[in-house]
Amino acid sequence: MTEFSPHVVLPLLLWGTLVGLDLVSVPQAMISRPVVAGAVAGAIAGDIEAGFRIGVLFELFALDVMPFGAVRYPDYGPATIGAVALAAGTPWELGLGIGTAFGLILAVLGGWSLQVVRRWNARSIQRQAAALAAGESSAIRRLQYGALFRDALRGFTLTLTALVLASTLSESIRLDRQTAVAFTLVAIGSGLAAAVNSVVRASGRGPRLKWLIAGLAVGLLIAVLL
Amino acid sequence: MNRRLRALLRLFAVQGTWNYERMLGVGMGYAAEPLLEDLKAVDPVRHGEAVVRSAEFFNCHPNLAGLALGATARAEYEAVAGPQIVRLRTALCSPLGSMGDQLFWAGLVPALVGITLVAVMLGARMGAIAAFLLTYNSIRIWTGYWSLRTGMSAGMKVGAAISSSWLPKAIEWVGPAAGFALGAAVPAVAAWYLGIFGWAGAIGAAGVGVAGFALTRWFGPGLTSVRFALLAMILLLLFRRIGL
Repeated sequence: MTEFSPHVVLPLLLWGTLVGLDLVSVPQAMISRPVVAGAVAGAIAGDIEAGFRIGVLFELFALDVMPFGAVRYPDYGPATIGAVALAAGTPWELGLGIGTAFGLILAVLGGWSLQVVRRWNARSIQRQAAALAAGESSAIRRLQYGALFRDALRGFTLTLTALVLASTLSESIRLDRQTAVAFTLVAIGSGLAAAVNSVVRASGRGPRLKWLIAGLAVGLLIAVLL
Repeated sequence: MNRRLRALLRLFAVQGTWNYERMLGVGMGYAAEPLLEDLKAVDPVRHGEAVVRSAEFFNCHPNLAGLALGATARAEYEAVAGPQIVRLRTALCSPLGSMGDQLFWAGLVPALVGITLVAVMLGARMGAIAAFLLTYNSIRIWTGYWSLRTGMSAGMKVGAAISSSWLPKAIEWVGPAAGFALGAAVPAVAAWYLGIFGWAGAIGAAGVGVAGFALTRWFGPGLTSVRFALLAMILLLLFRRIGL
């Protein structure tokens, strides 16, 4: 269990806000990829192992939906941070499953919050329609800064919600060892299904398939050596 | 600060005002502002019209938006007719979106993520994360710079400049690279997670994986992998509650 003290919570809040902004608005530097968000959150929470275990699993889920065009997708960034906060300090084989369940719900909530912000942006643009039609550069700047603020607020609120819930749940959830391990195995199986789905969909039948098979052979070799 | 550099930096926030009506439009207008500044002194009326056009509906991959931004900004200075500039913007939406998606979302990102996952499995940990961020952002920043420069030098001929550039070739090889990297990552990740659970645990997780793969493909978008995972966990809780 993470120690929810200010020197852990405040950096996690800041990290969650940056990660939330990175997904779409600025700078899209890929710090919102779950493996990155999870590793850094694990380092902040004092349990890097939990950060990597959760980050890698959420990365498998994230690979299943790439942000093509206007597709709707879950927001795994703040969700990964919340999941790491919940699972940190517990042996990973016991904490991964429940952390994943918690994080996936947050990711869906995060995806929904993106839609809210986008509708909010559209309303702001409608309010500034006259200024935009008149070619006022200041109106464009106002809209841009306002939208960035809304997205930062979204990331902050999501992370705050995740941390408050993680703090509450870590006090109240008591699972026996067998159930916790079963949860972890279901989470791992589901994550692998998501990854295989994305790989099969992306590979098609052309030259990509040959490279995929070559990659699988290398991966199997690594798996044997691990 | 150099106006082109300011526009490049603003391009990193081109999706800042993303919405379902204008999509990247307002973000493009924000990035275009430094490029159009000189037009204000020369031709204030044209400048006003150019600002209006720059913030209208636009959609493409954010990392290639510089091509459209540079091309339309140059066309404004060359006093190309307004409707022609609007047509150019519209014509660039689909190809820049499709090429960017193939290059970045279906190619570079999964390829680098796959390599990073394998590196993490092999113990590189934070070094792998740093290498991932450094590699992706170096390529992304260079692409942004190249896009803006190419757009500004090609103007209305940006289409020909894109077809003769490195982009189509890069798309050809980055897809197979992504397939290879992800192919290598999946078994390695599976071994990394399941190694400590023994055969029984591995078979159980594999069973869930096979069911998840089959059901999500069978039901399509109605049953996403996230929904499947949550459903499987709810079922597990119910089974445990009734003592199975």
